Amino acid sequence: MLVDLPGGWSPLLGRLAWSQIPYANPILAPLFVAVVIGAIIILGLITYYGKWTYLWKEWLTTVDHKKLGVMYIIIGLVMLFRGFIDGLMIRTQQVWAVGPHSSGVFGSLHGYLTPFHFGQVYSAHGLIMILLAATPLLVGFMNIIVPIQVGARDMAYPYLNALGLWITAAAAALIMISLFVGDFAHNGWFEYAPIFEMQYSPGVGVDYWMWTLQLLALGTTLGGINILATIIKMRAPGMTWGKLPIFVWASLASNVIALTSFPALQVALALVAADRYLGAHFFTAGMGGNLMLYTNLFWIWGHPEVYFVILPAFGMMSEIFPTFSEKPLFGYMTMVLASMAIAGVSWLVWLHHFFTMGAGPYVNTAFSVATMLVGIPTGVKVFNWAFTMYRGRLTFNAAMLWAIGALFLLLVGGLTGMMLAIPAINYMVHNSVFVVAHFHSMLLVIVYAVFGSVLYWFPKVFGFKLDEFWAKTMFWLFSAGTVLVFVPMYMLGFMGMTRRLEYVFNTAWQPYLDVMELGIVVYTLSVLAFIVLLYVSVRDHAKNRVGADAWGTSRSLEWLTHSPVPFYNFAVLPHVNERDELAWRREHGIDHVRPEHYDDIHMPNNTGVAIIIGALTFVLGFALTWRIWWLCIVALLAIIVLMIIRSFRGDPGYIITGAELQRMEEEAYRREAQIADSHHIHPVSGGVVGNAMAYQRNDSSK
Amino acid sequence: MDIKWRNWLKKGWRAAALAPVLLLGGCAHNPFWIFDPKGLMAKTNLFYLIVDVVIMGAIVGLTALLVVWFMWRYQKGKNRGKYDPHWSHSNTIEVFVWGIPIIAVGFLSYFAVKGTFEINPYNPTVITHHMKPNGDPVEVDVIATDWQWLFVYPQYHMAVANELVLPVHTPVFFRLTSSAVTTTFFIPQLVGMIDVMPGMRTKNALLSNHAGEYQGIASDFAGAGTSWMTFETRMVDKADFSQWVQKVQQAPGSMTYASFNRFAEPYINVNHHVVYFSSVEPGLFDHVMTEVMRGKTWPLPPMMTENMVDYLKKQAAEHRD
Repeated sequence: MLVDLPGGWSPLLGRLAWSQIPYANPILAPLFVAVVIGAIIILGLITYYGKWTYLWKEWLTTVDHKKLGVMYIIIGLVMLFRGFIDGLMIRTQQVWAVGPHSSGVFGSLHGYLTPFHFGQVYSAHGLIMILLAATPLLVGFMNIIVPIQVGARDMAYPYLNALGLWITAAAAALIMISLFVGDFAHNGWFEYAPIFEMQYSPGVGVDYWMWTLQLLALGTTLGGINILATIIKMRAPGMTWGKLPIFVWASLASNVIALTSFPALQVALALVAADRYLGAHFFTAGMGGNLMLYTNLFWIWGHPEVYFVILPAFGMMSEIFPTFSEKPLFGYMTMVLASMAIAGVSWLVWLHHFFTMGAGPYVNTAFSVATMLVGIPTGVKVFNWAFTMYRGRLTFNAAMLWAIGALFLLLVGGLTGMMLAIPAINYMVHNSVFVVAHFHSMLLVIVYAVFGSVLYWFPKVFGFKLDEFWAKTMFWLFSAGTVLVFVPMYMLGFMGMTRRLEYVFNTAWQPYLDVMELGIVVYTLSVLAFIVLLYVSVRDHAKNRVGADAWGTSRSLEWLTHSPVPFYNFAVLPHVNERDELAWRREHGIDHVRPEHYDDIHMPNNTGVAIIIGALTFVLGFALTWRIWWLCIVALLAIIVLMIIRSFRGDPGYIITGAELQRMEEEAYRREAQIADSHHIHPVSGGVVGNAMAYQRNDSSK
Repeated sequence: MDIKWRNWLKKGWRAAALAPVLLLGGCAHNPFWIFDPKGLMAKTNLFYLIVDVVIMGAIVGLTALLVVWFMWRYQKGKNRGKYDPHWSHSNTIEVFVWGIPIIAVGFLSYFAVKGTFEINPYNPTVITHHMKPNGDPVEVDVIATDWQWLFVYPQYHMAVANELVLPVHTPVFFRLTSSAVTTTFFIPQLVGMIDVMPGMRTKNALLSNHAGEYQGIASDFAGAGTSWMTFETRMVDKADFSQWVQKVQQAPGSMTYASFNRFAEPYINVNHHVVYFSSVEPGLFDHVMTEVMRGKTWPLPPMMTENMVDYLKKQAAEHRD
């Protein structure tokens, strides 16, 4: 062994032992029983209804970007729920453990969580919310929407897309299993040096954290490459850069960030692994290590990551506002420039996460001014959304409400962000709950945009709308929760309350913590409203069916094809004439045309390799965490062998004949004709209507 | 002019900050520590906070009003405003949407740069540029351990654990390091945060003209004991300070590197024990820093990172006396 391991190690099981299972923990043990029962029920139901084949063929081995996107979003929503429960636990601990006379249970001096357990809860909350909720939700939406918006039949690399999903799923599984086998990191989601070194964190928690993050970084990088290649190479004929839908521009900017910043994280984590596994001294205080080097490396990724998740959210808002304002986005070019500017500046601001490190005033002012520069393009975006509404015809349905909510949260987050950007202010509120309230405002912009997008694009993916009443109920409950939790949190920040207090030493803070606890209860109600929303919508789905253009005022290309989108997206690739293609076609009366003739199309085959490699990366992560070396070698070799085999076999894909395509299309049109307010669809010959081209000409070379 | 403006803003802001406090039942003191600074550093920080909030608040507030007005005016079916389905560009508006943020950021940048130099922890010009030649600054060496604070007063050859006592009207200069992990030194009403890192030295300074008791906090997470790693900061008159120094200098304890070795063992200070050391090995601060740089650590036993229940039981028993 190159490093001292407290506790035992065996060649067969590594550090794994019965004592690592928290069966005596009064919180985890009942939860484990509940999870096992739930799993048995779900697996039993699948077996009872004989859905295993369906599940395997249609979902687990799929390379269809829409299904993969849906699975990304399901992972995101499940992890959002897990992260929410962690948040609930944090709030409950803090409202309970106030002052020296507060009671304690389960072995804790105050409250119900020991410091070590509390640390794990908030570390998991942070990591999950940013990387396993926000990121999969946004990657999922980019996966579903980008190919349809650029008029492609799938991603550039369908198999790579599946691989990205299953590696992300493996990371989610790894962080979930840390609940019941061993423990998770307890030093915060970014794990500062040298507290993650073996001397201060001898358990497996940091290793779980490290491999989860490493897998997520890998999965997201693969996804980023794919989305970039799709946007650059797979655009429909006629779609020049100036006609790209704004969400695609946002995705482009976002994934440029992902591709360039995630490798920095992976290198930083590899160095942490060297410290913890090989006894190296990259980030130790002594022996020539430099602990602030870790902080720099982490935030060189960490800050771009923030914009990696906020830019798609901005893109979503830029799609929702025009649709429900019934006019084009104000200042398209400005919006594109602003997205690119945010992506560019994102690499230059990382040091504002630790102004208090003690860097000199020249360094701090440089990063301070760079940080404030972000406010310029962001401010431009806010003004552009406002002027999109100007002279519009606004419909305040639930999707629009979420988008407007996001805009107001962005104003709050922007105001407080500009405060934090100034070192003279930052010194007073850094590491306080003011910072926590600020970045929650910003991350809630993402959550609001995501819920708005769920409502907005749900009919496109599933063919029916979600229930408006419950969607609005959920919106108002969620917003009430936001106000009740985060207004007191900002106030506590001004009272000097610092982050991550397991025990709250000042009793003057109690009333504010009480209000926050009330807020989290209201949040819980909004979660229930979401579940009711899904139930009611699925129950009434026959009533809420929609045609291709679900909202009647949609503008971009994805609304041109059927809802739900067929697996081949477009039977004949559309020819793009204008920036808001559907709006343009509607205006020129060619929004209800269909091609007269169908050609054969080529589609990728399903593959089981991606999910198997995903499962093996989970095994690898688990074995590395517990230092079961033989299992690491087996898993790694299996992954390499599978990749080689897959590379040699490749995927010839398969052909859907024109006749088959015509049959499926006609069936889809028949289905759409049954919807009450649908229009008559007429075929056009040669793909040309008047002077405008509706579809790619047959004779055009590919 | 600067000072006058500052005072004027300060008064207005304080009235506004106090309003919610009065609503809550009129407590005797302001719980908003950040709005109630008692030291020059914290006061300077508050000044910049007010400037920033006034400028940005005006822009953000007007934008919010604009959005609300548009929402009201252009709601579908109400026919309050003109509907123009193609309007999506205006050079005049573009100039404003880029111009306003650029001017605001330019303006704030000036304050950002100025403020950063004024409160630069290594040489805070708000203090150092106004020091009297015979200001007799007090020096304090701060060593953070897992999870206690040791304040060494090299001028008086003494040290105090977990309590900081300082004279008013006197500049205080800190040197800070840590024996274990990174944390942050923070006294909300007196001085902003500065990181305290093992094997490294940071600096900070404060000057206060208000006697009183202020909360000191370890504001960066440093492990299980962070929540209890607080220290009382007492600003006292010069005469009281001399008396206090004499009291400490008669305490039984002494602090050498050997006793520091024991002191730095992981310990959660749940009962806020304060210890006085009448003598301190000269150069203790540098000695600790050098040892840490050479690789000295005080590792946590697994019982303090995993099975906290047993540790807390043990410690509760210890403190039962």
